[in-house]
Amino acid sequence: MKLRIAIIGCGKIADQHLLAVRRLPGCEVVALCDREPLMAGQLGERFGIRACFADAEEMLRTAKPDAVHITTPPQGHFSIARLSLEAGCHVYLEKPFTVTAPEAAGLVQLAGEKKLIITAGHNYQFTLEMLEMRRLVAQNFLGGRAVHVESHWPYDLSDPSYVSPILGSRTHWVRQLPGQLFHNLISHGIARLAEFLGDNVQVMAHAHQSPRLQSLGGQEVRDELRVFLCDDAGTTAFFSFSTQIKPGQNFLRVCGPKNSLLADNSSGTLLRLENKSYKSYLAFFLPPLVAVRQHFRNAGINVSDFLRGRLHHDSGMKELIGRFHESIRTQGAPPIPYREIILTARIMDEIFAQINTPAK
Amino acid sequence: MFTDSIILPTGRILVTGSNGFIGTRVVENLLARDCSRLRLLVRPSSKLDKLRKILETHPAGKDAEIVVGDLLSREDCKTAANGVAVVIHLAAGFDKNFAGAFMNSALATRNLLDAFLGSGQPGRFVNVSSFAVYSNLKMERHALLDETCPLEDAPQERYDAYGFGKLQQEKIVRDYGQKRNLPFVILRPGMVYGPGKPDLSGRVGINTFGFFIHLGGANELPMTYVDNCAEAVVLAAFAPGVDGETFNVVDDERMTSREFLAARRSARPFFSVWVPYPLARLGSVLWENYSQKSGGQLPPVFNRRRCAAEWQGNRYSNQKLRDRLGWRQKIPLADAMKSFLAQYQ
Repeated sequence: MKLRIAIIGCGKIADQHLLAVRRLPGCEVVALCDREPLMAGQLGERFGIRACFADAEEMLRTAKPDAVHITTPPQGHFSIARLSLEAGCHVYLEKPFTVTAPEAAGLVQLAGEKKLIITAGHNYQFTLEMLEMRRLVAQNFLGGRAVHVESHWPYDLSDPSYVSPILGSRTHWVRQLPGQLFHNLISHGIARLAEFLGDNVQVMAHAHQSPRLQSLGGQEVRDELRVFLCDDAGTTAFFSFSTQIKPGQNFLRVCGPKNSLLADNSSGTLLRLENKSYKSYLAFFLPPLVAVRQHFRNAGINVSDFLRGRLHHDSGMKELIGRFHESIRTQGAPPIPYREIILTARIMDEIFAQINTPAK
Repeated sequence: MFTDSIILPTGRILVTGSNGFIGTRVVENLLARDCSRLRLLVRPSSKLDKLRKILETHPAGKDAEIVVGDLLSREDCKTAANGVAVVIHLAAGFDKNFAGAFMNSALATRNLLDAFLGSGQPGRFVNVSSFAVYSNLKMERHALLDETCPLEDAPQERYDAYGFGKLQQEKIVRDYGQKRNLPFVILRPGMVYGPGKPDLSGRVGINTFGFFIHLGGANELPMTYVDNCAEAVVLAAFAPGVDGETFNVVDDERMTSREFLAARRSARPFFSVWVPYPLARLGSVLWENYSQKSGGQLPPVFNRRRCAAEWQGNRYSNQKLRDRLGWRQKIPLADAMKSFLAQYQ
C-alpha cells in the first residue's frame, strides 16, 4: 500500500520535497496545505495535485495522510508538527527542526508517546560522500572515538535573491528568529558535528558582520560565525559559517586517533587521510601522489554514480526521505537519532544565547 | 500631461519597481510630462541614488513621494495604493524558483490589486508583463507573433519560473478585471535593452558552459529600447478606450540576433560559437529526454519549449501599439545602440 504524504507549507523548498518524493517508489503526495491558498494552488497546478487546503487541521481531517512534510518557516514548525502528531501522522520537519531546544525535545517526546516517527530535514548528512564516511567510521577507520571534528558551511552573497528580502525587512521571518540568518542556515553544519559529540557540550561562539553584508545594508544582521565546542569525553569540534571565505568551503573533517576523513560536500568527495610515515624525502614526494590517486578515484566514483543515476543534486534529500518512509513501514529506528536532533537544537540555542548577549 | 487622459492632472500615480531598469525611465518620462503627483514604491533594500538624481533633475520631481515597502505585505500595499488613481506595476520577481517567482509576481500583484480596489480611486492598472508568456511551440519558424498568439500552457516543462510568474500575474489581473471590474491594460515588452543592462538576452545566446554560444542566428529580435518601452508604458497609463487590452511592445527598427551580437562584440570583443537552430533543437530534445528519464538528474534547462520560444525565430508587430496607443518610436535604433554600447566602454 502506498504511503500517503501531505506537504504543509508550499514555498520554495516544497518543490524539492515533491520532486524527491516522486522519485521514490511506494508513496504519493495526496494533499497540499498553505495558509495562503494561492501558494497551495500554484504548487497543486504544477504537480497535478487537486487536494489543496488553507487550514492544516482541515487537511489532516480530510486527506488523512500517513506522513506530513512540514516546510513552513520555522516559527510554525512546533505547533504544526504537534498538530500532525496528535492527528496520528509521522512527521518530516524541515530545518531548523524547531526554534528552540525545549520545543525539539517536546516533539520528540510526543512522537515517542504516539509511536510515530519524526525526523529533521538534515539531508546533507545523507549525501553519497557522507554515507561513505559513515560506513568507514562504522568500520573503525578512525581507530577509535573522534578526537576532533570540523564543519565549515559557506553562504554566497553574490546571489541577492535570498538575502535581499531579509536585509530589506525587519519583519521578515528570518529576522524574527533568535539567530536570524544563522538560525536558518547553520543546522546542517551543526547536525553533522552532533553525530560525533556527547550529550554535554561546552560552546564558545563568536559572530560578526562582514564588510560585504554591511555594504548590502545589513543593519544588525551578522553573517560570520565561529564556534568552538568540547564534550565531556574531550572530543573537540569547530564550526565555521562564512559568507566571505572563497572558494566557499563546505566540508566535514573527522580526525581520529589512527586516521582521519575529509568529506567535501561541495565536490561530493571523500578523502581518507591515513596515518602513514615515509622515509626521508619520500615524505615530500609520495603523499601528494597518494592524494592524486584519491582524487582520481573520487572523480571516477562520481562519474560512475552519475551514469548509474545515483548522483543527483538532491540525492541527500531523496535518501533521507526514503529512509524516513522505510522507518515508517518497518517501524524501525528513525533515520536521524533523536539524540542528535535534540543536541543540534541545544547547541544552536547556546550559540544564539552567546552571540545575542552584549559583550561585557 | 496629456490632452486626452483617463485621469485629471491632479490624479496620483503609483509606480512600483520605480527604481528598476524600466522603472527609472518611466519616472523620467512621467516627470517630463509634468506629472508631479507621483508615488514611487521601492524595495526596502534599494539603493536610491539614481532615482533621487532623476527627481532632482526635473522640477516636477520635488513633489514626488518615495514609499519604501514590500508588495508581499498587505499593509505596505495599502499605504502605497491609498488615494491612487493609476498604478503602473513594474515590480517583477526574478526568482529562479517557481514558488519564489509566483510569490513575487502573482501574490504581490494580488495584494496590490486588493489595496488599489480597497483604498485607491481606481482609474487604471497597468500591468507590465513580458514576451515570456507566449508559446510558439506549435507555430511555424518565423511566423508572426502578435497579441493573439497562444500563451505558454506548460511553464514547468519550459523550466521558466519567470514566465510562470508573469503568466499567473496576468491571470490574476484578468480575473480582477472580470470579477471586480478592475480597469486594466497589459503590456508585454519584448527584449528590453539599454544602458544599465549589460547582459545579453537569452534570445541571442547563452553563457552556461563558460563561453558564449550564439543561438539566435539570423532571427529577428523583439527589441525595444528602454526609453521607447517606457513611452509605451506611460501611454498605456493614460490613453482612453483601451481597458482590458493587451499590447506587445517592440520598436519599429529591429536587428537580427547576429547583427546585435556583432554590435555588442564591436564594443568589447569576446569569444562566441554559433550553433544553428536544428542543432540547438536536437540538443534541447536530447537534454529534455535525459532529464525526464533520469528523474531530473539534469534539470530540464534545455527543452523543446524554451528552444522554440528563444531560438526558433518569429516576426513581430507593433501595429496595435501604434494604432491604439498612438505610440511612436522616439529613440532611433542608431542612437539607442550608441547609448547601449557606451556602457561597455
